[in-house]
Amino acid sequence: MKVFKIEVKPELCTGCLRCELACSEVYTGSFNPSAARIKVVVSDTECSISFTEDCTYCGICVDHCFYDALKKIPEQTEEGGKL
Amino acid sequence: MKLGGFAGRILFINLSTGDIRKEPLDTTLAEKFLGGLGICLKLYYDIARPGASPFSAENPIVLGTGPLVGTDLPATSRVYAVTKLAQSKAIGWCGGGGMNLGCMLKNAGYDHVVIEGSADRPVMIKIFDDDVEILDATDLWGKGVKDTCDSLWDRYGRPMGIMTIGQAGENRVIFSMAYIEGGATMGRGGLGAILGSKNLKAIIAKGTKGVGVAKKRRYRAQRDKLLKTMRDYPYLKEWQELGLIKSLPFFPIDLYKKIKKRRLACVSCPIGDKDVVEIKDGPLKGFTTRSTSMINLITPMVYGIKDYRESIKCVSMLDDFGMDMFEFFGVLSFARDLIEQGIISSEQVHDKIEINSLESLETWARKVCLRQGLGDLLADGFNAILNKFGDKARPYAPYIIRGMLPYTGPRGPLVWELFGTMELGQSLDPRGPHVGASGSPTYFARRPLDQFPRHLKRMGAPEDAIKRILPKPDSPEDEDSLKVGRLLTYSHNWFSTLGSLGICARAQINRFYNAETCAEVYSSVTGIETTKEELMIKAERVWNLLRMANVREGFTRQDDTLPDKWFNASPFKNYVTMRPITRQDAEGMLEDYYDERGWDKRTGIPTKEKLRELDLE
Ligand code: SF4
Ligand code: SF4
Ligand code: SF4
Repeated sequence: MKVFKIEVKPELCTGCLRCELACSEVYTGSFNPSAARIKVVVSDTECSISFTEDCTYCGICVDHCFYDALKKIPEQTEEGGKL
Repeated sequence: MKLGGFAGRILFINLSTGDIRKEPLDTTLAEKFLGGLGICLKLYYDIARPGASPFSAENPIVLGTGPLVGTDLPATSRVYAVTKLAQSKAIGWCGGGGMNLGCMLKNAGYDHVVIEGSADRPVMIKIFDDDVEILDATDLWGKGVKDTCDSLWDRYGRPMGIMTIGQAGENRVIFSMAYIEGGATMGRGGLGAILGSKNLKAIIAKGTKGVGVAKKRRYRAQRDKLLKTMRDYPYLKEWQELGLIKSLPFFPIDLYKKIKKRRLACVSCPIGDKDVVEIKDGPLKGFTTRSTSMINLITPMVYGIKDYRESIKCVSMLDDFGMDMFEFFGVLSFARDLIEQGIISSEQVHDKIEINSLESLETWARKVCLRQGLGDLLADGFNAILNKFGDKARPYAPYIIRGMLPYTGPRGPLVWELFGTMELGQSLDPRGPHVGASGSPTYFARRPLDQFPRHLKRMGAPEDAIKRILPKPDSPEDEDSLKVGRLLTYSHNWFSTLGSLGICARAQINRFYNAETCAEVYSSVTGIETTKEELMIKAERVWNLLRMANVREGFTRQDDTLPDKWFNASPFKNYVTMRPITRQDAEGMLEDYYDERGWDKRTGIPTKEKLRELDLE
């Protein structure tokens, strides 16, 4: 399986949770933000984006973010991680 | 049969008795009324006692989300509430872009929440999966929307869905609204006051149950197609960057970019338009607020506030109190005129009303919300003012429909003189004038008629209806007659579809969906195979039920008000010919609407045949 380094840009995040929906659906079979391996917490002034220990860095969440708050860098690596 | 998309349960909460009950969702309800808005209406219709007064414990509030809510189909997060509303005293719906609330309610395991009775002290409802409680909310009572949300997030963490009211709702200000996480409003018509009358300050929700879909492969194919079209949309970036300023360019873009702090989006929305802005200079430097959109934040400039920073502060204050800006400005302007005319004695009023002064607006917003002095009367809206001052006051009243100010009109807050579906629709909305359900190609643009068929097909209008709606090229006497009334039928059906499924109706979202796509996603998510034609019949059924719910309350054609003032000075203009619209023209459009719907033209009531056809008898 391809894995990626994922760069996050919390300042661009809208809290749409598309990333969490996509991740949870792929790994648990239903749309369930609480089961996602990416965690987004956004308020007016702050935003944190983190990945749980189970994250495989598969990059699916990145594909579902429309706001460029998540980015794969470089295209493919041996070991994934948050940049 | 276990349906996909639906959580499969309805939560019943009685605030009088403290009783909490969870019941399975009857699948025939889903088959007949789609979900969301449709099932909210049906539940309300079955539970409510006809004739109950809006503020009585007998008036339930039915909340709900559609079957697509919680999935990752784009912009499927809508939350609806159906109740008898404070202003029009009719049964109406309030809907909001659901922020987190819709997704969280579904994940907690509920499609609908039925709130009955009324609490004897301030309470809130906590819905965390199976853990549902009515909690004391005395400490939140008296707080604004923002403080309430912040306290709740501090206490329970994010993400968490919140619906709350501000002080306006607590004090039953008749034009108070409910707010979803401070970023979406529910409730032209006074939903805030209904929650307030139940002593219900807030509803919070989060859950871990997940939302499944029935036919995964089909679902993914359709979703990916939709997402691709959105990705390829040439204006995607511009929309994301500018939000509603993109379609209503009333504010300098450079300035907007300077103060924009964050874009927010409802769960699943790829083209979010909620705004967080921060004032960068002047006496209000550092002031930060969230809003349903930047357009809202600058609306007071229409009323004469010169400084955009003061305008932002003003709207933020009104949102925090939790009341509708248009009605607030409307009643306040009316009161000012009555004072000027000596109809309201100026001795009674110590603080001058200045619509263009932030200081005066702040003073009066407080008076209205807390019902102090003259504010107490203003909090009851136009009809209360007219009742008190009678015929003397009438000439100074703005044009009103069901006691409320229309949004659009030749002299409305948003000046728009062409008479399209959104204009006519304001007279037909049971909750009072609103444009939300009446979108069509006549919306805010002189769109050429040859583009109409494509849009109408997208909205699910059948070929024969399209022929009836558009002018006939071969009959010259008909050349100017775009049938706005007939067209409105399909606007309402389309809105009913989106609302029942849970899709956002805003223009930048709505444009990507069409009736066929909706039928396909509804089928693949729920597992209820539904063709486009069947889908549109269900949507029509929902709209007829809304009408019947109000017929049962005694509403008839007389209540589909066309205000006199629409036809006097500076009347609306015909969409095609630009000729002034007369009362007779507009009455004709209403009749066209009833006729297209299969309603009695004289009474505006659905005919027996229609009800039989829709299985609504
Ligand atoms: S990289 Fe893959 S596993 Fe990790 S959060 Fe994103 S979708 Fe989930
Ligand atoms: S998809 Fe992107 S914008 Fe949306 S919550 Fe995730 S990181 Fe933020
Ligand atoms: S367009 Fe606005 S209201 Fe609609 S879903 Fe997106 S963020 Fe919410």
